[in-house]
Amino acid sequence: MKKILFILFIISLLEAKEYIVISSKTMPTLTKNQLKRIFLKKIRIFNNQELIPLNLPTNTSIRYSFEKNILQMSRTQLKAYWTKKHYLGVRAPKKQKSQEAIIKFIQKVPGAIGYIEKQSLPDNLKIVYQWDEK
Amino acid sequence: MYKFFPLLFLIISNLFAYEDNKYTLGEGLQVGSLPLYIGGYISLDYKHQQDYDSYRIDDLSFLVYGSQGKLSYLSEIEYKEFYVKTKEDGITTTQTNTEFLVERLFATYTLNENTSLRGGKYDSYVGYWNLIPINVLRETTSNPMSTYILYPKYTTGIETLYKNYNYEGVFGLEVSIQNNNDLDNEYNNYIINKHYALSLEYEQDLWSIKFNGGYFHIIDTTTSQKKRYYMMFSTKIEESNYQILAEVGTQQDNHHNFTTQYAGYIQGLYRFHEKHITVIRYESFFNEIIDKKDNFLVMGYTFRPLYPIAIKGEYQIHKESKDNAAFISFSVLF
Repeated sequence: MKKILFILFIISLLEAKEYIVISSKTMPTLTKNQLKRIFLKKIRIFNNQELIPLNLPTNTSIRYSFEKNILQMSRTQLKAYWTKKHYLGVRAPKKQKSQEAIIKFIQKVPGAIGYIEKQSLPDNLKIVYQWDEK
Repeated sequence: MYKFFPLLFLIISNLFAYEDNKYTLGEGLQVGSLPLYIGGYISLDYKHQQDYDSYRIDDLSFLVYGSQGKLSYLSEIEYKEFYVKTKEDGITTTQTNTEFLVERLFATYTLNENTSLRGGKYDSYVGYWNLIPINVLRETTSNPMSTYILYPKYTTGIETLYKNYNYEGVFGLEVSIQNNNDLDNEYNNYIINKHYALSLEYEQDLWSIKFNGGYFHIIDTTTSQKKRYYMMFSTKIEESNYQILAEVGTQQDNHHNFTTQYAGYIQGLYRFHEKHITVIRYESFFNEIIDKKDNFLVMGYTFRPLYPIAIKGEYQIHKESKDNAAFISFSVLF
């Protein structure tokens, strides 16, 4: 029994984590490039809707994965990028404390978009992009 | 008088800004729950040449900005050369400038994902260096000569920016029109009442290329050849640990006589650590107005204990050794 539990534990470590980017059902599916532009605030309006990208706290594994796989920028590069954007009058995405907070925000505010673990997806929101972290 | 309103607002808003906001250096502060943010920057520098030393508190700047829906807005007021002490040939002079100047003041309306309109006073959309010109964010204390002599650094007018994402990369087109005097014209390298400019750019992954062309009209009575045309090419390659940046341009008057035959630079930057950056830049220019030609090398080092803080050292080697110069600067973005 202990052997089986140990093997299951090792398998869970090796399994890819599935993450999703979610928004309201009116948002179309997005490409990685579109997501990158949205979260770097290069696109602020989409389909006549103001976009509100949301980040999780800086020390979360999902955020690290999002920055690595979608934004393709290191933390240092992002710090430099947003410092320059501050001079240009543009703010970094709003930070939410948890995945639950992201879900609640998106459910209430049109144009909001954020990322969570796939298993947390509620029925009334849509997956606009998906990626795996191995 | 109107310039004091942003400062007054800044002081009053600071009384409310700290309530629920945790402050991070280089990110400004939200004013309560309003769609408004405040920030600023300061820079100090020292320059040494043969028989010449200058010490400056150069920039003392205040930023207020925000956005609401499709509209965003920014105001930047500044003390420029707030304090300057120079020692030249044994003679010391001190100057202070306590006049607040408007460096930028504009509103931007985003029509859709491709197009935005801007009106007010803004950094001229020329090249790459001029888009992020302040000491704390640029890579050396000094600016390339081309940014002083080829085009007006600031435009007071209207601008439209279009970006097309249907290509593998991003194609951008910008048109800017000024047909009035500058707002706070002391703050521009050319005092103008006209500036018509076009920018074409293409960006893909790590590299980008840009073409700028424009016309401006100088109203400063001490300047001859008041109607000027300029053209400039720029390119940039940016990776996580290095950057290559090059800009080169030319300027003529309305009789097709060169005012600046050429002015340009190529710069390489290497980040051997997130806090330590080295820069090398080669510049060359020939300005016919002052009949000056020079080629020189700039070697710089920047230490960023935190990204919004820059401590820089720089040495320039010119064609004539009397023009060689050393710079040290300290700057912070709040």
